[in-house]
Amino acid sequence: MTAEPIAITGLGTVGPHGIGAGSLASALASGRPLASTIDRSAGYHAVGSSRLAGLVPKVDLSPWLPAAEARRLSMPSRYAVAAGRMSVEDARLPSLEGRNVAIILATAFGALLFTEKLVRQILDEGPESAQPFYFSECVANAAAARVALALGAHGANVTITEREAGPLLALARGVREVREGRAEIAIVGAVDEMTPLVHALLDRFRGPARASRDHDEAPRPFEARRDGVLAGEGASVVVLERESEAKARGARLLARVTASVAAFDATAPVVDWGSGAGPLARALHGGLSRAGHDIASIDLIVSGASGARRGDRLEAHTLAAAWTGAPLPPVVVPKAVVGEYGGGFLASAVLAAGGAAFGKIAAYEVSDPELHVAPHDGRPLPAPSRLLATSLAAGGAAAWAVLERP
Amino acid sequence: MPRAEQHPAIVVTGLGAVTPYGWGVDRLWEGLRRGVTAIGPFSRFDNARHRTHVAAEVPLAEGPEPPPRLSLADRFAVAAAHEAVSRAGVDLSVCAERTGVFFGSSAGGMLEGEWFFDAHIHRGARHAKQGLVVSQQFNGPGDAVARALKVGGHVETISSACASSAMAIGAALQGLRRGDVDVAIAGGSDALCQLTYAGFNALRSVDETPSRPFRKDRLGLSLGEGAGVLVLERATDAAARGATPVAILAGEASTCDAHHMTAPHPEGIGASSAIRIALADAGLDASFVDFVNAHGTGTPLNDASEAAALHAVFGARTGSIPVTSTKALIGHLLGSAGAIEAVATVLCLARREVHPMPDDGAIEPELGLDLVLGAPRSLPDVRAAISTSLAFGGANAVVVFSRVDAA
Repeated sequence: MTAEPIAITGLGTVGPHGIGAGSLASALASGRPLASTIDRSAGYHAVGSSRLAGLVPKVDLSPWLPAAEARRLSMPSRYAVAAGRMSVEDARLPSLEGRNVAIILATAFGALLFTEKLVRQILDEGPESAQPFYFSECVANAAAARVALALGAHGANVTITEREAGPLLALARGVREVREGRAEIAIVGAVDEMTPLVHALLDRFRGPARASRDHDEAPRPFEARRDGVLAGEGASVVVLERESEAKARGARLLARVTASVAAFDATAPVVDWGSGAGPLARALHGGLSRAGHDIASIDLIVSGASGARRGDRLEAHTLAAAWTGAPLPPVVVPKAVVGEYGGGFLASAVLAAGGAAFGKIAAYEVSDPELHVAPHDGRPLPAPSRLLATSLAAGGAAAWAVLERP
Repeated sequence: MPRAEQHPAIVVTGLGAVTPYGWGVDRLWEGLRRGVTAIGPFSRFDNARHRTHVAAEVPLAEGPEPPPRLSLADRFAVAAAHEAVSRAGVDLSVCAERTGVFFGSSAGGMLEGEWFFDAHIHRGARHAKQGLVVSQQFNGPGDAVARALKVGGHVETISSACASSAMAIGAALQGLRRGDVDVAIAGGSDALCQLTYAGFNALRSVDETPSRPFRKDRLGLSLGEGAGVLVLERATDAAARGATPVAILAGEASTCDAHHMTAPHPEGIGASSAIRIALADAGLDASFVDFVNAHGTGTPLNDASEAAALHAVFGARTGSIPVTSTKALIGHLLGSAGAIEAVATVLCLARREVHPMPDDGAIEPELGLDLVLGAPRSLPDVRAAISTSLAFGGANAVVVFSRVDAA
């Protein structure tokens, strides 16, 4: 059954690349990680732990978020509101007034810094010191609520928290809101912040990449020496509309979302990836089939591989099982550049659908004989007609989306 | 209504609950019928320095042996899910890849996160056991259920504050209608923790005495903890395997006030819109709604806003529709509230009586509601009911249930 096509007509992004799709596209073309040094002065980090994160540089958000409005917002709320307004501006939507607009955001961790400050107030100074301002901003849905307030969006306001699979689950939910008529427009994205405390905690679970004698700290998706991710932050938000309505108003189409699939790998431990490639591949096949897609028609994979040891292995094995041994189309790995969390992956997938260039991953040097997958080598690729974006989360959740070039 | 006829009917075939009344649906129903609040002094954490000192906590000693590496919220979730699946009599091993988990949680394993952080900042990083934060994330309870049940389908956690698990039930309904999954485990779980307790106190939203929803002297909410889970299936699938449905999940809707971060729209515009859309989704006229399981927190602003929303939808009939609030008995379960109140709503529908709230405070005539106080209200001809969840950030979610034999 062919469903009504849903188009992406706007993109707003704030991340380690800075602001906007242009800076993100340049970063993806460079193939180098957008890493900067995380503040370790609080003493949260152990000796030998990771030192880098994909942090948002000092950027001027004031065109989308006036200083007076930003003053009481957590960083995730600031990123999300700025990216949300940017996406609407990019979509050239004349006005959202009177429109039924849904807001669907994913976050893995919520407002970490405000949560840390509030918990510290409670535990150090006593619960009577708790600031209401911190509390109202540290609920997971604060960013989505702030975007709704900023845009006057009265449709569904949903915050999805499924770690690395969240952004594609949010995209799927947004598509359904529009396709099934519950919303005219969906503003969909992902937002997160990275703090020294949580960076150090992730490091205790060996999440972020570490430097060693034979390599630096860069994330190395699918590489033999991979040992972790670049923990990132930021927000990326897209505007979804019915393609027919977008065309009718003369909108520029960035991509078309034609399928969404979700599954779960129950073999996964709580904080790592499992080994259920076969069932995941079956779920992917089934979902694509229900959407009317033959997997052979995919001509680019935007992989969620991040450099995680077991995560990339599961991703490689799932892709191999899904393609049943046939050669894979080119595989690009944006998380090698933008890192994990903060929506950079979602924005990268949208740019990929438009034919963005993905440079050679500088850190990829030694192939992993167990995986049989390597990131694209950076040579120019024709713009894809249909790409598969993949996200396998630590803990078991999985989500995929098919984007087409309009 | 034309829209409902486009959808396959979705039924509830199993229920599970862990609440301050104890472990299991039977304990919940017994407590709800009795109408004596479970809110009182509690010991989940040292609350001596907090502004208020009451909550409703789950009696942990009565529960099953805690599985390793699960947070308390995970533990509630897994126990409720096992009960719901057992009551549904569904063999998930034959449909694991077509079974989904749709869950809500607002705090995940924050309680254990606080223990970790306390050790970290007061005794040093080496003394903070990282096992405490293994399942700290919002998605901890839902993922724990998926792992425990060995589910392979769509798994999604929604963390939209107090509307989280009502939204999760809505997402499950839509997933079943679309055919994304054949069985949906829908619910929510949250545990008491200092962050939410101190946070709501900082907002002056918590009453020092058990909450009195819709009463004249109401001063705020009371917090609680626990989990509620529903097993949902398409009616045709349930019938094919010989299952007996408990109720029909007829419709759902979500809206946003986009009015204020912590205060509801005074006229309840977002809430009334959600109720109308949910009824339209269910294909039911408002006249079919025979009782309301209200969000009913007991805060002055929320209750007034919700009453306004009910009047906007039900008009002159509002004053004759029985209204109850489960929160008056087991507290506000936050991300789990929508799920446990859905369980309560289904029980009331199936047993044809509405559970009471404690009869402890003067009613506020201006609100114009028919509150169920003191004793269960028998409704032998009950047809349908709504359960409302109205959250922080203006997020509203409404689910509509109808009686199986009244459809």
